[in-house]
Amino acid sequence: MKVLIIEDNEELANSIQRFLTHEGYICELSYTCEEAREKLTLYSYDCIILDIMLPDGNGLQLLKFIREAKIQSSILIASAKNALDDKIEGLEGGADDYITKPFHLAELHARLRAIYRRKKLNGGHLVEFNEISLDTDKMETAVNGSALELTRKEFDLLLYFMVNKNRVLSRQSIATHLWGDYTDSLDNFDFVYQHLKNLRKKIAAAGGTDYIDTVYGLGYKFNTAKK
Amino acid sequence: MKLVNKFTLWYISITLFVMLIGGTIAYYRVKKEIDDGEIERLKNLNNKTAEQIRLGVATELQTNGRPIEIAKLDSNVVSNTCEVKESSFYNPNINHKECRLTVNSYYTINDQSYRISSYNYVTKTSQILRGLISSFLLILLLLAVLIGISARLVSNRILRPFHVALDRIHHFSLRDKKPMQLPETRTKEFNELNDFLNKMTDKVLEDYNALKEFSENASHELQTPLAIMRTKLDLLMETELNDDQAQLIGNIQAGIDKLSRINQSLILLNKLENHEFETSVNIPFCRATREAAATFSELMDMHALEFESHVEEKVHLPVHPALADILLNNLLSNAIRHNIPGGKVVLSLNRQGLIIKNTGEAPEVPTEQLFQRFKKGNQSSASIGVGLAIVKQICDLNSYRISYVYEENWHIMDIRFP
Repeated sequence: MKVLIIEDNEELANSIQRFLTHEGYICELSYTCEEAREKLTLYSYDCIILDIMLPDGNGLQLLKFIREAKIQSSILIASAKNALDDKIEGLEGGADDYITKPFHLAELHARLRAIYRRKKLNGGHLVEFNEISLDTDKMETAVNGSALELTRKEFDLLLYFMVNKNRVLSRQSIATHLWGDYTDSLDNFDFVYQHLKNLRKKIAAAGGTDYIDTVYGLGYKFNTAKK
Repeated sequence: MKLVNKFTLWYISITLFVMLIGGTIAYYRVKKEIDDGEIERLKNLNNKTAEQIRLGVATELQTNGRPIEIAKLDSNVVSNTCEVKESSFYNPNINHKECRLTVNSYYTINDQSYRISSYNYVTKTSQILRGLISSFLLILLLLAVLIGISARLVSNRILRPFHVALDRIHHFSLRDKKPMQLPETRTKEFNELNDFLNKMTDKVLEDYNALKEFSENASHELQTPLAIMRTKLDLLMETELNDDQAQLIGNIQAGIDKLSRINQSLILLNKLENHEFETSVNIPFCRATREAAATFSELMDMHALEFESHVEEKVHLPVHPALADILLNNLLSNAIRHNIPGGKVVLSLNRQGLIIKNTGEAPEVPTEQLFQRFKKGNQSSASIGVGLAIVKQICDLNSYRISYVYEENWHIMDIRFP
């Protein structure tokens, strides 16, 4: 997957690039609108991560340019400005999703995958690893081909892990992913643990491997090296 | 007391004072003029009589119907002196007190001393006084009425700029961001006042906006460094770490998490203050409540709390959907966080209002104070303490009345819709 990161903060852009490159994506960086415009006219990308506030213009104008040029990339807006208007304007302007800074890289990645899946035709809605397969359209889970009953939260959790394989996912990042921004004022870490416990139990009962490891002090990890 | 009444009273008091003095002066002047005239006439009469005696002409003892008394005195007198006597007596015939003015003149004619007396009735003191008082009272009354009426008519006209200014001040709000802009007037004092008010409110607005802009910018500017920290930590977590390092990173993550939550809450509060969520579209508040109840019932289960919810159908309110969600989320999160093991949460919604109550320990600070930012019932709790401030702001914005009481182990949040 080819990704264009339009972000004026070099450090942040580098973090994103590093994370996504590690996932095997080809990442390019643009620090300004002008640079981005140039790259967009010359090359094609699967996904664009777009910051709203750029030194030489507004990301929303760039969004308009992208849509007018009929560029088919999926667009994820990543903005520090959590203004609702921006969000609505961005989504109406043709962006596929909106993420607010400061975000977790795993969350950004999950969102990126989600919008990419939606665009991709045939089989794009399937997320698979070894014996586990998730259908993101029908919200169905199967282990070794037989259906597994998961709650909505458990499904989200498993999907989050499978998109971010071999990544250490902090409890904060998981809690935010499951309950959103507003409920995170609750101490949700116990629930993360609870959901995880149930999920592992269900997968084990269906004969699947328990790929999820606890990482001391930090969180959890979907370990593909496990047998 | 109204300004116009004050002015009127002052004018009337001054008039009264002037009239009292004026009346006294008038009284003495009038009385003196009358007496002096009469004394002069009687003196003249006495002199004429003395002249007649001197010439040996038979004197008429009656002049103008008034008797003249001529007495020969044994003792020597200083010639051409006179004394004036005034006496009051009761005249039973006219049932009235009368005032008699007597002038005694002394003459020495042909070595013989004479006293020639004549008298006349003059206007009595009290009569003059009565006349003066009654006329002055009439004048005073007339003045008072005229002052009263004209002061009202004129003050309405003259004080209009003042009332305009007062009205503008009354309706002035920093949040509207509109300058006061008081018009020019023809009165110097009002111009000065308006000038001052204009300058002052412009300055206040400027300062307020600068401060607000600063806090908004600060919040937004913080987002990027926070994002850098968070993403770098995410990357750091991927490296080989020993337990100690992992623990430290975990702690930093938690700190950044809290910081970003505080920041986001402040940004939200700022936006609420900026009226960025204004809407007049009715949304099904009942549906938002049911959705929130569904989301939270799972969390309630996990906390082993008993959750009861009564949501009436068709409760529609003109509120921004995001705000409705935040309101419900914050209240329900609080109901869980400040609960006791095996406790209970009750939610009920109808057209009149929303009540969310939960069992819990008594708050350590008065409940009303908990609506302030960063005020926590329990200082050690993990919350950041702006949840209720946000709830209050949302209620204020939509003119809901919110009350928070603690009664018999229940924390009761009661929101009344308009």
